[in-house]
Amino acid sequence: MNEAEFTDDDAAGGVAKIPLIASLVALVGLADSVYLTISHFTSEPVPCSLIEGCEKVLSSPYAEFYGIPIAALGAAAYFVAFSLALLAAYGNRRLWTIFGLQIIVMATFTAWLLYLQAMVIGAFCQFCLISAGTTFTMLILFAISKFAGKDQIR
Amino acid sequence: MKKEKKKSGGLPLSIIALVFVLVVIGGFWFYNTSRSASRPAANRATATSTPASPQQTAANAPLGAPVGVNMLGSPSAAVTVEEFADYQCGACASVHPTMKEIQSAYAGNRNFRFIFRHYPLSIPAHDKSYDAAVATEAAGLQGKFWQMQDQLFRNQQAWTSNPNYREIWAGYAENIGMDVEKFKTDLAGLQTKQRVDADLARGRALSVTSTPTVLINGRQIPFSEVNTTSLRRIIDAEIQQAASQSTSAGSNSTTVNAK
Repeated sequence: MNEAEFTDDDAAGGVAKIPLIASLVALVGLADSVYLTISHFTSEPVPCSLIEGCEKVLSSPYAEFYGIPIAALGAAAYFVAFSLALLAAYGNRRLWTIFGLQIIVMATFTAWLLYLQAMVIGAFCQFCLISAGTTFTMLILFAISKFAGKDQIR
Repeated sequence: MKKEKKKSGGLPLSIIALVFVLVVIGGFWFYNTSRSASRPAANRATATSTPASPQQTAANAPLGAPVGVNMLGSPSAAVTVEEFADYQCGACASVHPTMKEIQSAYAGNRNFRFIFRHYPLSIPAHDKSYDAAVATEAAGLQGKFWQMQDQLFRNQQAWTSNPNYREIWAGYAENIGMDVEKFKTDLAGLQTKQRVDADLARGRALSVTSTPTVLINGRQIPFSEVNTTSLRRIIDAEIQQAASQSTSAGSNSTTVNAK
């Protein structure tokens, strides 16, 4: 991958804009997934219903992955993404590539979660959709930084 | 990463550390506040509104099973606790210990009986709940209904999204001392399905739309009151009422929804 999106000069003076925006988006995702994780542990069980709602998603068996809440995995992933993007914003371009790879994995997983909500559980959860939104926004930001010229990065 | 750290100074790392600390502190604070907020709500003991003549509705709904099947306690009890549940429902699994506490608290009380009704919800996420209900009925044919129910609720996470769930259930059947081959045959049999369908018909007639739905003498108990404290309070009141009625008006207090 071409790693000339932003130069080492960025580190000295300015801050690369796209990674900075990406780190802010990651913060939104982080706050959202921390909220979802805590809800997962504290919320009272919700009755299962023929009329499905948001609670269905969080209380579905798919809300956990080998006993770990998906939301907690999300929180960890967003924290790493935030850290990588911020360090990238301050000039570490290698970390921006790693960030990109991580976001591709996250976006793939998010697509799977969206599929589960739509096709298997048959209900959407708004806070899960916010998370999907932040992941895809980060993916778009990464794509822009890769495909746009060097000038547009800063 | 370390090279860059030196180059860009400690600012980004400081921000990262600050965010980490904020997330931990904020998360902990939010965890505590939401726990303390949700607890009283669950134990709130409010006077519940009683729908008009619920006993009548319950009495008119078709019976789910002959009296004595999936029932604990005295067949002629004045107070009937009826639970409609789905084995793939997380909330049902979470109230299962409550139901067991209630059953043991009133064990031997001739005024109390508990009836379990199958109500597998036909929603995509509950693709195995009908089969699970049939499995407990298959266990019931060997006198192990309650033991199998226990296994299914306690191990819900283990089988609910496992494609080999029938093998897992066969393992439970073996654990609780069942004839596994007969269990497998009964699982495919018509008799067990008819039992589940009968409970479903009763639930539909009572307009059950969610699980767990708990009825005490035909009156639906709000989910927020499905906890040991509230249920015991309601049951005690019903028992007391039944006792005072039978002493004042002679001995004519036939139970409403299973005879």
